[in-house]
Amino acid sequence: MRVQVDAAFEPLLELEMEMATLVADWSNCDQCAAYVARMVSHDRHDPIRHANLLSAALNELFEMSFHTRESTGTLTFRVYRNGSIERIELAFPCSAEQRNLYETIVQRIRSGHALANYLDVITDDTARAEQAILLGLAVNYDANIELSIRDKGATTFVVDLALERLLN
Amino acid sequence: MNNRSSGRFTAQFDANNQEFSLSGVLRPHSVAELADDLALLRNGIETVNGVCYVNLKRVIHMNNTAFRALTRVLLDATRSRPDLKLTVVASSVVAWASRLFRHLSDLSPNIIVEIYDSAFYPGQTFVENQSFIPILRTQTKMTWRHEREILPRHGLREGLHIADICCGIGDFAMLLRKDFKPARIVALDHSIPSLEYARKVAEDFNVHDIEYTYGDASQMLFESDQFDFVTCRHSLQIFDRPDVLLRELYRICKPGGRVYITNEKNSHCLGEPRAESIQWTYNEVAKLFAHFDMDVEMGPKGRRMLLDAGFKDVRMESFMVTNLDGDPQDFADIITAWQNVYADEMAVRRGDSAAFIERFKQGFADHIFAALHPRGYAGWPIWASSGQKPL
Repeated sequence: MRVQVDAAFEPLLELEMEMATLVADWSNCDQCAAYVARMVSHDRHDPIRHANLLSAALNELFEMSFHTRESTGTLTFRVYRNGSIERIELAFPCSAEQRNLYETIVQRIRSGHALANYLDVITDDTARAEQAILLGLAVNYDANIELSIRDKGATTFVVDLALERLLN
Repeated sequence: MNNRSSGRFTAQFDANNQEFSLSGVLRPHSVAELADDLALLRNGIETVNGVCYVNLKRVIHMNNTAFRALTRVLLDATRSRPDLKLTVVASSVVAWASRLFRHLSDLSPNIIVEIYDSAFYPGQTFVENQSFIPILRTQTKMTWRHEREILPRHGLREGLHIADICCGIGDFAMLLRKDFKPARIVALDHSIPSLEYARKVAEDFNVHDIEYTYGDASQMLFESDQFDFVTCRHSLQIFDRPDVLLRELYRICKPGGRVYITNEKNSHCLGEPRAESIQWTYNEVAKLFAHFDMDVEMGPKGRRMLLDAGFKDVRMESFMVTNLDGDPQDFADIITAWQNVYADEMAVRRGDSAAFIERFKQGFADHIFAALHPRGYAGWPIWASSGQKPL
């Protein structure tokens, strides 16, 4: 299901993949991230470095989808742009328990303690990968993360990234 | 030196330098995939004293799984070896790295994070001197008269994917684009002012299809086997480790593609009249650069270097830029710029005497005299070589 997107955001790219295909091979995360990043970054100020940075962020999102281990349904990945911002819309099926975990993490980010939480997570062997990924996106990429919609077991993340200003 | 290579990344520990290095793409599914590499780090840490360097300059990607695993080993080390300082070095080129690795110093005062953003090579401050920028355009204008004819003999044709490495102010990339209509052209340099100049010129000319990028030529972010034709002009000669750079040029070139390099032999710069004074000065130029670990005598070594790097079908030729290539004043302007940097900056930095510098400058003045003399001749020789990456 498509999220109601701000009209200012121009659609750039859409990728759809069966979850069974994604979770069949870990390297799909790396390859999808690299491919999408290269396509999206070609007209940025420094396309190569922008693609490297975007790929780093996207890979985390693909890996998070992979960690669900859901083998039914479809992953939908869309990229939009508004000026310096790339908006990532990522929808994939997941359990209610998984969705609750995401909600808790996003709330923690909103609470304004993302950095402290992130430092705790990266030093805690028992912390879930999803915690490190979402907190890492907020802390290291200044990502604005929203859990936008729920529909028949699917979860949709909307992640805004303004990466050009992170390129020194 | 202990080395481990796991397909997309390499780990090594250099006991002499007390340095653990990672390079490449680290995106493991589980920590277990890194077990041997982390053991290499752990064992290395046990053997060192004082400072242990963790070199991450050449890590192109690292996912959270790898980062957390590395963090754990480093933190364990700060607890088991409180006497030890851990210095983590990341590259300024890889934007995510500085933002990710900075957290390590938040976790322990014994971990220091350094961002490596300068001194990619010893003579960088001289070569990237901004006063050089106007003269670089003139240099390229004069060499292009020759290279436009030479390049097709080295395999350049229309429609190729081209990378111009160490592109400087980007003027060569502009000329390649105009005359050889590449399908894609990427231009990389490590001088931000030069790149900004390049982008400004491209914008002024309404050119939007050259991808200018900031990068370290000895570890580029490009994937392997990407380009049909890779150029690297007048740059191997100013790196202290040209073999490392050449390996990278080889890596990014497609099998069957070609790498094209140009280098000088400064002691062969010549002029008439006043040949003797000119020759003395340029012999001294070569020694001056050698003092700063640069080899401006590299030109004729190009063939051997390409063969040693694994290229085949190596082609080589030389050409002489002279005062007869267009306006002799252009040639004179180039020599004036050389004199300003070589005599007034490099020789001064080396600590040369006033008498030496005066004689040194005289040779440049005589070269200019020869260039502008109505019956004079002044030359600057350049060697162009290329090799094919085997299929």
